[in-house]
Amino acid sequence: MSTYVNPVDPPDLGLLPTFRRLLPLWWAERRLGFFGLACSLVYVLISIAIPVLIQQAIDHSIDATHHQHLKPLWPYLAIIVVLGAGRFVINFNRRFATARIGVRIEARMRELLYQAYLRYPRAFYDRHATGQVLSRATNDLYPIRYFIGWGLVQGMQSIMMIIGVGIVLVLVNPLLALYTAVALPPITWLTFRFARRVSPISREVQERKGDVTEAADEAVVGIEMVQAFGRENDIRERFGDKAEGVRATVLRQAGIESRHLPGLYYLPGLSIAAVLFFGGRAHIHHQLTIGQFVLFETLLLQLVWPLEALGWITNLAQRALASAGRSFAWLEGIHPLPEPAEPRHLPEKPQPLEVRFEKVGFAYGGEVDVLHDLELVIEPGEIVAVCGPTGAGKTSLLNLLPRFYDPTAGRVLIGGVDTRDLPIAELRADVALVTQRPVLFSVPLKENILSGREDEDWEKALAAAVASGVDSFGPGLPDGYDTLIGERGVNLSGGQRQRTALARALATGARVVVLDDPLSAVDTFTERRLVARLRPALAGRTVLVATQRLSTVEIADRAVVLLDGRIVESGKPKDLIQAGGPFAKLFRDEVVAA
Amino acid sequence: MKRLTKYLEGRKLAVALMILVGAGNAAAQTGGWLIVRSAIDHGIVAKNSHYLAIAVAIYLVVAAVGWILQAFLIRGLARIGQAIVIGLRRDLFDHLTGLSLRYFSQQKAGWIIARLTSDVDAVSDTLSQGMPTLVSNVILLPTAVAALLIADWRLGLIAFVVLPPALILSRWFQRVSHIANVEQRNRIAAVTAQIAESVSGMAVVQAFNRERRFQAEFDALNAANREQATYVQKIFSVFFPSIEFLGVLAMASVVYFGSHLYQHHTLTIGTLITAIYLLQLVFQPLQELSDVYGQLQSAAAAMVKIASILDEESEIQDRPDAPVLPRIEGDLDVDSVVFAYGKDPVLHGVSFHMKPGSCFALVGESGHGKSTLARLIGRHYDPDQGAVHVDGHDLRDVELRSYRRQLGVVLQDPFLFSGTIASNIRFAKPDATDAEVEGAAAAVGVDRVAARLSGGLDHEVREGGAGLSSGERQLISIARALLADPRILVLDEATSNIDRPTEVLIELALDRLLKGRTSIIIAHRLSTVRRADEILVVENGQITQRGSERELLAQDGPFRRLAHALEGGEPELAAAG
Ligand SMILES: Nc1ncnc2c1ncn2[C@@H]1O[C@H](COP(=O)(O)OP(=O)(O)OP(=O)(O)O)[C@@H](O)[C@H]1O
Ligand SMILES: Nc1ncnc2c1ncn2[C@@H]1O[C@H](COP(=O)(O)OP(=O)(O)OP(=O)(O)O)[C@@H](O)[C@H]1O
Ligand SMILES: [Mg+2]
Repeated sequence: MSTYVNPVDPPDLGLLPTFRRLLPLWWAERRLGFFGLACSLVYVLISIAIPVLIQQAIDHSIDATHHQHLKPLWPYLAIIVVLGAGRFVINFNRRFATARIGVRIEARMRELLYQAYLRYPRAFYDRHATGQVLSRATNDLYPIRYFIGWGLVQGMQSIMMIIGVGIVLVLVNPLLALYTAVALPPITWLTFRFARRVSPISREVQERKGDVTEAADEAVVGIEMVQAFGRENDIRERFGDKAEGVRATVLRQAGIESRHLPGLYYLPGLSIAAVLFFGGRAHIHHQLTIGQFVLFETLLLQLVWPLEALGWITNLAQRALASAGRSFAWLEGIHPLPEPAEPRHLPEKPQPLEVRFEKVGFAYGGEVDVLHDLELVIEPGEIVAVCGPTGAGKTSLLNLLPRFYDPTAGRVLIGGVDTRDLPIAELRADVALVTQRPVLFSVPLKENILSGREDEDWEKALAAAVASGVDSFGPGLPDGYDTLIGERGVNLSGGQRQRTALARALATGARVVVLDDPLSAVDTFTERRLVARLRPALAGRTVLVATQRLSTVEIADRAVVLLDGRIVESGKPKDLIQAGGPFAKLFRDEVVAA
Repeated sequence: MKRLTKYLEGRKLAVALMILVGAGNAAAQTGGWLIVRSAIDHGIVAKNSHYLAIAVAIYLVVAAVGWILQAFLIRGLARIGQAIVIGLRRDLFDHLTGLSLRYFSQQKAGWIIARLTSDVDAVSDTLSQGMPTLVSNVILLPTAVAALLIADWRLGLIAFVVLPPALILSRWFQRVSHIANVEQRNRIAAVTAQIAESVSGMAVVQAFNRERRFQAEFDALNAANREQATYVQKIFSVFFPSIEFLGVLAMASVVYFGSHLYQHHTLTIGTLITAIYLLQLVFQPLQELSDVYGQLQSAAAAMVKIASILDEESEIQDRPDAPVLPRIEGDLDVDSVVFAYGKDPVLHGVSFHMKPGSCFALVGESGHGKSTLARLIGRHYDPDQGAVHVDGHDLRDVELRSYRRQLGVVLQDPFLFSGTIASNIRFAKPDATDAEVEGAAAAVGVDRVAARLSGGLDHEVREGGAGLSSGERQLISIARALLADPRILVLDEATSNIDRPTEVLIELALDRLLKGRTSIIIAHRLSTVRRADEILVVENGQITQRGSERELLAQDGPFRRLAHALEGGEPELAAAG
């Protein structure tokens, strides 16, 4: 079996590959997209038609220098107003349609990321701070939404507008149209230069904001520690530095904007001046009507915003692509745990399962192996206590069973099947885990306990709650078992949290139970009661329990000692105490205490 | 708004300057068109090429000036805007970190983080991107109107016809979009909180095959957020085009009446044309403003959320003239303390007194109030009745920070910050030398842990201590407390994940280094509490028994029950020792 190495920090994707991946997302919304584009086209046509009509009105109904005989003015104006009303409808539809695409794609990206998060391996979460994971699915998505929901179609519309105006100008007076084009080269140059300069900074702004999220997350989660030592000022300073980082980059961005955006705004003035000068002279020489002159100026004025928008859009596009590039890198570069190609299955229930570690080696990726050549067999239905000093690798060993990690050498067998050959959901349904640091969710106590049971049968879960001692505090909470638990279980005591986590694990029908120091925060009296209740509750299950307390070792049939990545001792607890080996060294003191 | 203007203190001059620059910029834009008018009237219509050339030259110069002014404007406003943002962000964070634990236990972490990040960002985006548009257009609008009136007051008045509907429209937009935006903020915060919670509890989500359930929960929140965002977009999509339409109406009326006036020779063609342009100049800012207006609305909604934190009064506060607590001896007196998190009290009249340098242990059944007592001693909560005195001072009467700095607390699930092991140890005493840090690390055995890791004490720890075993995290946090050299030390199940031989090592270190300090040990392992001078048994929020281990074992009471739990269970083990 080849060992599988999963990169958890893949490099960001480039602009082009990102674009290729965004396109299908857009394509899924193509009906809205094409509708928006069609509206844009009509919008551009109307926007050009209105000045043309005004020109006609001026030349045929107002300016008396060429015609003796003026046409009535109101039909022109009526058409203009009607067109204006039409444009209102079109513009509303265009904006709403494209904005919806943006909103949907944002939601879709977030959904894809969240789906992926649910399947990423532990190693991913070891590598990335919560704040970072969080901001990628929230703040990072906004540029994508704005680009797709506004920039893409607005950009096309700008280009249509430029082309449309160009055509009209050439038709009316090619020579003057040529003069008008003077501003075009500098504007194009400036636009591209702006986009090129501003995108790395925009990207940096996004990163700096990520830093702020991280610092905020850390401070909020660690607040008790901070306040306990009165170190609020230190983390304020730390946070202030991050905030300062955002400010500095935003200001640098503003600096670049200030060097480019006013140009985009005022450069069309060159064209306006050209029309004024050359067009004016043409009018003096009777080559251009006053209406045509007005048309030129009006259309040019209408180009100012589309040109400015192009600058913004190129910037936005690069930011959006950068953000999306990071998201896609995660989506594609990080693989969830692979499901087996040829899945095998566990023996039918209720047959108890054997757990076997065969020549297991494990490392987190550093130079030091946490486990080497570890051999351990737990008979079906046996309860084995794993003991060992701090950092010996107990948690690491236990985490191999639900496949939080895969061994780097050897294999782990459950019921005679390599864990890697089992469908993950099947494996995890039969391996119940109590983590060393209890994790509870902000739902009612009852739901926390039930969350391991598919059928949500409260009667059976209640039995587990009793076995794990939740019954001694649950009914006494303000709303009994329906009491809402705070995030991370903040409104429970440490021991209550642990017992809840234990109940959740027992409530599942899993045949393998993995308990990582499950009673470390529970007093000896409660522990005593629990040990008595747990043994029957665990009957027929294969159990691995890591612990630092002799009193917890008591529930086990057998204890093993993990030292230097190997099992160095194994036997009945009382025999081990007498043997005077590593086990006795670990617990001697407690025996005397009792 | 008022909250924001306070960050402008000391920048009044800069603000005034920017308003001036903005006015200059607006004048350049409108002035340009007035020049165009005279070029048409006196140059083109009057067939005066010379005049035309001069007018064009002036026009170009004015445009160049406008260009420069706008560059200044963007930069200056960004500076002002960011000054506001950083002030806001810092104040928010400062305020937040000063709030009591009760607040944090009632709010979801993700919710709070959304305030500090996306809400402040919304304000920031408005200030740095919306502000230049806002300022120049707010100035441009009246200037353009004024220019229109100057060009011809009759045409100017006609343009005003569309103003009332525009104003009504804006009012409507403001009201509707504000409500919609606030709701939008709520929904995105709910999404953020859900993601944050699942990410931090991912191990359990995965271990229990809860992925589908969480996905469904997320999908519902995400969809709700999407719906709301769509609704907000709809409102925005109506507003802008309607302003545009009003612009068309205004132009049609101006052309209509203008042509009449022209026919009656009371208006030049140049003025009529210029009026058309100026009208565009009136409606262009209106349109741009309506765009910025949307941003402004979401920033206002964000401010409402931010204000909800800023308005939160910390329940634990220094009295205005609270004195700084001088170096304390460590005399701790807990006097008939009653305390409740909610309605039902958790502590019912707890009293005990500790002489400086004494060491007490708190034992008792889980959930009976030991950690709560420790939190009251750290003044994370104030007692509802009774008081905690240190050296005779009521904790509520002294400056909190000066007290907490003399207090060392180690919790069962210690929090480590991202950074190195050394920086985490140094956390409580930032000015400690490397030697001191190494000393503290060596005293409790962190050095042995570090030796296994790449980089030793400079090994990078990730947020929350990921990458270390639980016991290792506890060791580091003990070293941290040791380095802080506290006058009072509270160990709340600080060694629960540490093996007993290592714990013995720690005890030796504490005895040696913190000799004479008052210390409180909360623990369940009896071997751990044995070293205390006196053991207090906490039962149902009261101290029901106290004395030395021997005295307590001699009595028939709760302690014997706790102790015998161990002894009675496995007599062979005990005998074997
Ligand atoms: N996610 C991780 N990445 C890298 N190294 C890790 C990670 N988790 C643990 N380690 C290291 O692996 C070793 C074994 O850790 P493990 O958590 O398995 O110990 P343990 O026996 O459970 O200790 P404890 O009794 O303190 O819980 C430790 O040296 C630890 O620093
Ligand atoms: N933030 C909170 N909000 C509401 N109730 C709380 C909160 N924290 C603790 N409680 C409740 O107060 C009681 C006492 O809790 P405390 O943490 O003081 O117990 P403890 O004796 O330290 O227990 P353990 O030994 O398990 O740590 C418990 O019943 C718990 O449910
Ligand atoms: Mg462990």
